Amino acid sequence: MFGSHKKKLVALFLSALMIVPAAAFSGCGSKGQAASSGSAQSAPQKVTGKIALICSAAGPNDNGYNQSAIDGLKEVKKDLGIDYKVVQSTDIPGSLTSLAQAGYKLIFSLEYNFDALVKGVGGQKAIADQFPDTTFVVFNDNPNLKADGTPLHKNVISVMFNVNESSFLAGALSVMVNENATTLFGTSDYSFTAGDAGRKIGFIGGTKSNGITVFGYGYASGANYEAKKLNKQYTCYTYYDAGFTDSAAGATKANTFFSSGANVIFSSAGSVGDGVDSKAKEVKKMSIEVDANKDAAYPGHILTSVIKNTKVPVYTIAKYYNDGKIADYGGKELTYDLKSGATSITDLTEIGSKVVDSGKDEWTKIKAELKDISDKIGSGTIKVVNAQNGEKFDKSTLTNVTMPND
Amino acid sequence: MNMLNSILYDTIYYSTPIVLCTIGGLLSYNANVVNIGLEGMMLMGAFSSALFSLLTGNIFLGILIGVVLTFLLGLIFSFLSINLKSNFIITGFGVNILVAALSEFVLQYMQVANINLNSVVNVNHLKIHIPLVENIPILGKLLSGHPFMTYFTIAMVFVVNLILYHTRFGLYVRVVGENEDSARSVGINVNRVRYAAILIGAVLSALAGANLSVERMALFTNNMTAGRGFIALAAFYCGKGKPLNSVLYAVIFGLAQALATNLSLNAGAASGLFGAVPYVVMVIVLAAVSVTKQRGKLTRGTGIG
Repeated sequence: MFGSHKKKLVALFLSALMIVPAAAFSGCGSKGQAASSGSAQSAPQKVTGKIALICSAAGPNDNGYNQSAIDGLKEVKKDLGIDYKVVQSTDIPGSLTSLAQAGYKLIFSLEYNFDALVKGVGGQKAIADQFPDTTFVVFNDNPNLKADGTPLHKNVISVMFNVNESSFLAGALSVMVNENATTLFGTSDYSFTAGDAGRKIGFIGGTKSNGITVFGYGYASGANYEAKKLNKQYTCYTYYDAGFTDSAAGATKANTFFSSGANVIFSSAGSVGDGVDSKAKEVKKMSIEVDANKDAAYPGHILTSVIKNTKVPVYTIAKYYNDGKIADYGGKELTYDLKSGATSITDLTEIGSKVVDSGKDEWTKIKAELKDISDKIGSGTIKVVNAQNGEKFDKSTLTNVTMPND
Repeated sequence: MNMLNSILYDTIYYSTPIVLCTIGGLLSYNANVVNIGLEGMMLMGAFSSALFSLLTGNIFLGILIGVVLTFLLGLIFSFLSINLKSNFIITGFGVNILVAALSEFVLQYMQVANINLNSVVNVNHLKIHIPLVENIPILGKLLSGHPFMTYFTIAMVFVVNLILYHTRFGLYVRVVGENEDSARSVGINVNRVRYAAILIGAVLSALAGANLSVERMALFTNNMTAGRGFIALAAFYCGKGKPLNSVLYAVIFGLAQALATNLSLNAGAASGLFGAVPYVVMVIVLAAVSVTKQRGKLTRGTGIG
């Protein structure tokens, strides 16, 4: 009797042991944060830096979004002599609070998590209200708005990237590469669908929201621009409900596009995009990645990546702060476009290295055309629909691209 | 024709890991152990085989280590739930979150967003093309061009069926499931039978995971099993733990997913709705099965099925 009782206790204990590491592991990010901000909390006077940055879940070594923001801070330190602190955290509100308490006056938060900052959660006052002397910078959305469109807090800055413009470039590039695939890459390593059957491209998104369709609409518009120039008719398959997790399902979805003749698929869907890349390699076609420069993950099969270069806004805003002008920008939504360099496609070196000798001339022409397009976007000659600002996309403007699933 | 071929091929693609996990899980179901940790075991297989394929540079070694590690996970689950008599559901749930967190932690620690086996293996080389058969219309797509694990799965369906109904071990499993006390009274080592059933399930789930990550995609991403273990659970519940019936349900779910994926392309603006098809099918099947199960049942709550 006693024995079984003891056994049950041991069972309970061991079950608890199984759960505990799970909790510890999932909270690993916050552990790092606790260590860093904890030390800051215990000695609030000894602030080593004035600027802090909270990484998004991808972490500081993501070769893109986070890393380039940190590069921006490194440059700030070099040029302006301001120290900075980088924090990895799963508890964004907690980190915002402890960093502000520790005396950081400019805090960048790369994670998509704003409620506690601008609205306050759990009966708490909004963090922005609690620390009126601290400026908070958030990315990819403008949560800092009242219903009438005026800013909620004067110490929150929202940074937006006009990825519609860089997606436009990716669309134009897709069509140009598709038209000249055999010239550029030969026939041995790729099996592009040829002729009219292959005048197809695809877009796969994680969810149908403005933050995702902004890529797809820009992409289709860019394809339309080039298709019109070349007087060809294109089809752009779209799927906006791929989610962000199931990479295997993403791969089969991509396969339906590829086997129906699409030669390039652009995806903005987290891990699902990795599945699309894997399938592109399997069927010897191409995919386009997003956010960070992932061209080297599948050399020769990722045509390019539509990147957000966070270095640019981080540096400029830190400079405003250094010059004492940060208050002028408080409460504003700062938009960074193609011209600012904060969003673009990659420099195409990875895919360029796969271009065969006889295709080099064509490749130079394509790059020149891309340059021309980005100049035109910069000067405003080409205006690309920006869905993330709530702009409506008028598909009838697409003279040479049909979007059957949109 | 092209689309029919794609649907058939994708049905096999989706079904393979689910079927493998189903036949692994139904053994312990027959021994009256509800293993909801199947999802975690599949994820463990997917994760560890991808990780060790990358580290060793050899996918066979990688998959082997993945299977061994998942076997150990199965041992922990068995020890807790059989020897220490913890609740199966809670322990299985613990397995699921443990593995999800562990894989996420390791990726974070390695500072990568996913495990890319691009440098180790080319998935095209893993596909087995059967000469002559691959040229037969329709049948060719069903039978040829799949990786090894697909054929292994088909074989295992019959093997597990054989084990369950034509071996002494299979008989013991069923007796233990029907009535633990009777089993004990005739001298069957109940714990040992359950251990074996769970561990076979763990190994097959690990292989299902390896099929998904290493063989099919050469890629591991966080939580990539995306509920397939639970679909397997639903499949052998619908099939009442009978191998051939359960596999049939698993294939129905695979078919639903393949149909949804392929048909949505031609569905115009409604394509997004097709994503719900597999889940709607699952709910309908589950409901239909549980209604028919209740008919003619006189007692409540005893035994299995």
